[in-house]
Amino acid sequence: MKRKHFGFFILLVILSVGLIACNSDSPAVDNETDAAGANNNAGNNTEELGEAGGTINVAYLAQPGTLDPHTTTANATRDPAKLIFETLLALNENFEVTPMLAEDYEVSEDGKTITFELREGIKFHNGDEMTSEDVVASMTKWSETSFAQSNIGEHEWVAVDDHTVELHIEEASFIVLHILAEPGQFAAIMPAGVVESAEATGVSEYIGTGPFALENWRHDQYMHFVKFDDYQSREEPASGNAGAKEVLVDEVYYHFVPDESTRINGLLSGEYDFSHMLPYDGIPQLDADPSINVDIWPFGPQTLVFNKEGMFGDVNLRRAVNHALNKEDVLTAAFTNSEFYEAGPSLFMEDQVDWFTNAGEELYDTNDMDRAQEYLDAAGYDGEEVVILTSRDYPHHYNSAVATQQALENLGMNTKLDVYDWATLLDRRADKDAYDIFYTGFTVMATPHQYTFLDSRTEWPGWTNNPAFDELLDEIKLAQDQEEAKEIYEELQQELWEDLPVINVGKSLRVSAYGDHVKGYTDFMGPNFWNVTVE
Amino acid sequence: MKAYTIKRLLSLLPVLLVVAVVVFFLIHLAPGDPAAVMLGPDASPQDVENLREQLGLNLPLYQQFIAWFSGVLVGDLGMSIYMNQPVLDVFLDRVGPTLSLAILAQGISIIIAIPFGIIAARKRGTLTDQGFMVFAMLGVSVPSFLLGLLLMLLFGVYLGWLPIAGYSPLSEGVWSHLQYMILPAISLGAIQAALIARMTRSSMLDILSTNYIKTAHAKGVKERLVIYKHALRNAFIPILTVLGQTFGTLVAGAVVTETVFNLPGIGQLIVQSIVRRDYAVIQGTILIIAASYVLINLIVDLLYGAVDPRVRFNKK
Repeated sequence: MKRKHFGFFILLVILSVGLIACNSDSPAVDNETDAAGANNNAGNNTEELGEAGGTINVAYLAQPGTLDPHTTTANATRDPAKLIFETLLALNENFEVTPMLAEDYEVSEDGKTITFELREGIKFHNGDEMTSEDVVASMTKWSETSFAQSNIGEHEWVAVDDHTVELHIEEASFIVLHILAEPGQFAAIMPAGVVESAEATGVSEYIGTGPFALENWRHDQYMHFVKFDDYQSREEPASGNAGAKEVLVDEVYYHFVPDESTRINGLLSGEYDFSHMLPYDGIPQLDADPSINVDIWPFGPQTLVFNKEGMFGDVNLRRAVNHALNKEDVLTAAFTNSEFYEAGPSLFMEDQVDWFTNAGEELYDTNDMDRAQEYLDAAGYDGEEVVILTSRDYPHHYNSAVATQQALENLGMNTKLDVYDWATLLDRRADKDAYDIFYTGFTVMATPHQYTFLDSRTEWPGWTNNPAFDELLDEIKLAQDQEEAKEIYEELQQELWEDLPVINVGKSLRVSAYGDHVKGYTDFMGPNFWNVTVE
Repeated sequence: MKAYTIKRLLSLLPVLLVVAVVVFFLIHLAPGDPAAVMLGPDASPQDVENLREQLGLNLPLYQQFIAWFSGVLVGDLGMSIYMNQPVLDVFLDRVGPTLSLAILAQGISIIIAIPFGIIAARKRGTLTDQGFMVFAMLGVSVPSFLLGLLLMLLFGVYLGWLPIAGYSPLSEGVWSHLQYMILPAISLGAIQAALIARMTRSSMLDILSTNYIKTAHAKGVKERLVIYKHALRNAFIPILTVLGQTFGTLVAGAVVTETVFNLPGIGQLIVQSIVRRDYAVIQGTILIIAASYVLINLIVDLLYGAVDPRVRFNKK
């Protein structure tokens, strides 16, 4: 009987250890806000393609909870889901809105009605033809998300005829088209019947119009996609997520491989053709193999978030931290060297000409301890403990937190690092009394409005409370053209560096790699496996 | 013996109740929210709250427990929030790789450990004995992930003989199955072998110094007969105990090996479900493993009787 008790003890220890310190290198849930933006490999890869056919084996970090892109912001959903589903509009490599399932669209003069002419003869994977009924059902389901509601406001989708759909918006908004084309939590079109049977956690049948159909999903092993023979590609040149999508490989396997060493070894041994999200210290090993191509892609802002409901409600204290923080030090700690990050004050990549600006540059990396001390004194800081929330599940966040702790200690602040697993961190960061600072990563977004920390109305952790941001975001929505929108955004970015609800430390880059037998690979906000051949 | 078995099986019920209560409240009282994990870090607090409501996570804990446990009593372990599948199906999906890994690793460890242990005991104090025991010490000391990665590099990357990761079920062919299982089974089995070899050696040493073995030798019984018939059988009880325990560990604790070789087994399932806060899967899996522990212990106890007639259960 003693042995039996020992067995239970072991069980409880396993469970407790798992709960308290679940510190795997690669979490089972890849829902950190990580995503690719514009990059060198985006758009149309012009290298010579091989013969069509064959299978591409992808080693991917983590399995998603669902493939329904309406329900989640997780990239682990977005990346495989974009093989299956498509949207009315898509972003091209310059982040411009381009028709995808819509043949064309027209915005009314008052901006309150957008009419979409749908492409005819588009088939779903179940063989049914896409009609406006499917589009209205899908878009109405998507409209229920906070993402849609906060960015578009009150709105309604109406079928005019079988191939015409109208979007009626209560207030005209400059960003609506971008939101509809956004690949994160994207507005996928599904058959009306599938939408009707959706549950709280999303649809259970994954049927779209995309270039690949889901054949089989073995949980925690792989997703198997097969070429959709009836796929109708657009004819414009491929660009970003828009344009022609030629289905050249017969099958795509997304293998879920949480261990990063295994993703590297599998690529080297030929088990996988493509490995996603590789560790920085594994790059030399891959560089040494001439048959491997390394793809470095933009990820998005690495962000220090202040809890404005605590001591950092005082802007002087936030400014003290900003001046004390050497951004290059934090970026190096997190991403090893300058090959894997881009320093600068902008939330957008340089390629995103619509929004990219250096406003706030003079406040970005001052590394001025004297000014930091002045702000610290002005805030009346008296040795209160600064709790920095972090998780080892994402080493770059942990390393950023450690470098930040050191900088704050150098300034004479009293700090404490609270280390949890990622799920606990997500929980604790929603508690206003639990912390002062945490780090997170943000995707390169199509519009400023999708950076949830800017808008106080989202009540996102950190609780931004500056009405100026809300007003500027609303003004951008009412802008007449991109030029006007960008001018307002410049003001907003300047205010971001003055008010510092968060500190945008810099933009991180990430690494994927693939064998040189894979031709034509591109990524744009996640890997694309159309227009790709594998020998 | 039948009465003993029934009694032991009945004792399972209170044990499972305690495990169910402890696991349920431990996991629910720990911080972390499955809805937040499902919806991603950008999700608005409102969306997270709505999903919590729809999943019934806002109900008082005791109500959630009653709902879950009343299902368990009729064999329904609940639904996985993350995978949207019945927990029992999820578990049955994973039990194949884990059992296969455990059996192969156990087989490898027995094949290596028992002869090594016996030889070391027979040649006590010699270079062979010391060599074997150094080897065993190395086996115990090397972390399984390190051995796994080394094997993967050698046989997968450099030699290209075996696939480095993944799983092919037995239904797709024995060879294809074994190809995927060999490296993880060796990396796990080698470590267990070290433990079992040390136990075999010490147990054999105890028996070899007893009077009846000396008598057997004096009678001129053949050495092989003395070792395998007289000594090993008597030395086997403690070895069997270790085998039972290591098998239990292999079933529930091959987390690292499963992760490194990307085997979709029970260990990986538990860890990933904890990361995802997939409550029903954690509870159901732990409950089944707890029941398995009790059953494995019962089987080991019954096997004692097969090995040693003195501990057979009599009808009294």
